[in-house]
Amino acid sequence: MALLRLDSVRKSYGRKVVLDAVSVEFPVGLTLLTGPSGAGKSTLLRLLATAERADRGTIYWDGVALPAARAALRATLGYAPQAVDLPEDLTAREFGRHIAALKGLDLAMSDAQFLGLADAVRLHADVNFRIASFSGGMRRRLIFVQALLGQPQLLALDEPTAELDIETARKLGALIVARAKTAAVVMTTHLADELAPHAVQVLRVDGGMVVPA
Amino acid sequence: MSGVAVARSSLASALTRYRRSWGLWLVLLVGPVGARFFVSRDDGSAIVIAVGDHLPVLTSAMLGVSLGIVVSTLLLPVAFLYLRANTTRTQPWQIEEVSAASRVAITLGRFGADVIVLFGVLAGLNLGGWLLGWLIIDAEPVSLWQISFALWLVAAPAVMGLAAIRQLFDALPWTRRGLGDFLYLWVWLGSIAVPAAADKMKAGFAANMFDFAGFVRPMVFAAPAGGQDFAIGGADVLPGRVALDVMAGLLSPGYAASRLAWAAIAVAVAVLAGLIYRPHRPVRAGWVSRTWTRLQARAAPPRADPQAPAAHVSRVPLTGLLRAEFALIGGARVMLVLAAAAALAGLLGDYRHVGSAAANLWLVFAMTAYAGQVEARGLRGLAMTMPLSPGLRRAAFVGAGLGWALVMALPGALWHADVARLWLALATGGVVALVAMVLSAVSGSGFAARMLLLIAWYGYLSS
Repeated sequence: MALLRLDSVRKSYGRKVVLDAVSVEFPVGLTLLTGPSGAGKSTLLRLLATAERADRGTIYWDGVALPAARAALRATLGYAPQAVDLPEDLTAREFGRHIAALKGLDLAMSDAQFLGLADAVRLHADVNFRIASFSGGMRRRLIFVQALLGQPQLLALDEPTAELDIETARKLGALIVARAKTAAVVMTTHLADELAPHAVQVLRVDGGMVVPA
Repeated sequence: MSGVAVARSSLASALTRYRRSWGLWLVLLVGPVGARFFVSRDDGSAIVIAVGDHLPVLTSAMLGVSLGIVVSTLLLPVAFLYLRANTTRTQPWQIEEVSAASRVAITLGRFGADVIVLFGVLAGLNLGGWLLGWLIIDAEPVSLWQISFALWLVAAPAVMGLAAIRQLFDALPWTRRGLGDFLYLWVWLGSIAVPAAADKMKAGFAANMFDFAGFVRPMVFAAPAGGQDFAIGGADVLPGRVALDVMAGLLSPGYAASRLAWAAIAVAVAVLAGLIYRPHRPVRAGWVSRTWTRLQARAAPPRADPQAPAAHVSRVPLTGLLRAEFALIGGARVMLVLAAAAALAGLLGDYRHVGSAAANLWLVFAMTAYAGQVEARGLRGLAMTMPLSPGLRRAAFVGAGLGWALVMALPGALWHADVARLWLALATGGVVALVAMVLSAVSGSGFAARMLLLIAWYGYLSS
């Protein structure tokens, strides 16, 4: 059974309809979202991550409709938005601690996990530096790492590999594929062609519709 | 692109941003709504402006002067808050700083926009003053031009000066953030204290140049003999009003010229801000900067374990949240050193005026800095999707603030066996934590909370 399901979901901003009557399921495994810029991929991810509410339609998590299931979904969500106002004066590790606390994780374990993940994405040497000194790619990796903290059953990743060199992007890709064995991972990426063989489905978002690519 | 074109473009884009922000419309309401509270009333239900312990007879000029003085003294910090926190606080400096455009022109354009907005507030206040004049002046026929003349002559140079200070503080790396707020507090206090100290000087241009806020001469020039003491803000007054010819003060030798000079100085300061503008990234860190960075640096991270298991959910997530907030508020090395110094000050010195004041200053800076970081809108959007809600985190933030207040008070309380210190620490720490939390959550930045708390802290220190 699909962990996450959208039924006739509509989302608009003012008069601009971004998603219209979208019905789609997200099972355990990797789901890739493709489509032109501005088509609504990020909006779809924000809806899945409960950062936005649908105008119409229903989102089901583990068979229960939102908003009743919102707390349960958030308890097991890892969300990496495309851009975050990162707290510039905190170090990356402090930011990890902040996120771990908000996720209600064991702080000692989450610190060890954070360091391990940071090492996997080549950020370990910089975790005690302030975020203000980070490049765009480092910020992107930090946002990715915080999403993986804990054991999320749903990962909503918005362009986690943007601004990364190809080697680091592939490292992230490998981590994502590994996580997709036990979690529903929904992501947008410019590495869609490379990751497609590992995906359970590739969806195209365009013109308000979400259809198999 | 010519300097004029750059200045015009900066002005137009800043005004467009102002126009599209809801905050502007709120600020423009301050005048008409607030006017009623800016004019002294016999029942004490408004800000008091008194001479020799008596309220002056309310004439048109006195009404204008009252409104002007409230703006140029009591409202300036609020206006500074608005200028530094409004929509124009973010600028595309990454692009501007490498462009060929004149920095002076950019600064002048933005200065002009700030001045226009503040003048808009004065215009709203002027309208409110006219309405109020019709309603409450009964000593003489209402003179609209006298209300306007008095208000603008007193307040306009002061708000221009404020806009210039904003540009000046935005021009230098070390005044762009908390230190600039702290410095402004002292500039503002100076703008009130210096003219009050110079009020016995003979009327003239030189004496009036000490009076940036412009409140001395209108109040004392024609004051009755022995009635040259004046009060602004909250004060007990005696019954009965005294006649005070404030127009004579406004037209006294050198007063109008000094106001024009202050306006010119404001423009000059804005030009200076453009000339001394320093980019956001320092070219080469000096020893002060290097030492500061070293002090703030954390130890090298422990070795990473690639096989580290995924963290499981804590059995007591709220305790973890509280611990995390506590560590994040004051975990930096320099903050720990300063907290220890504040605790030591409480141990050795007078607690109420030294230890408690030091601890509260520490709390103001540490808590508003952290609250401002985590309440940034983009991060709040992410935090909203977490299992523990932002509301819970804010509660933990207040709890952690109380914890820091207690930690700094504890050594002195134990040494002197004085439990009252702990209660005082909890009360003042609680206020700091609550104000920092609420204002940062509302504004998405720690700036407004820091400014307000610094003013409150000064009141606490000097009371």
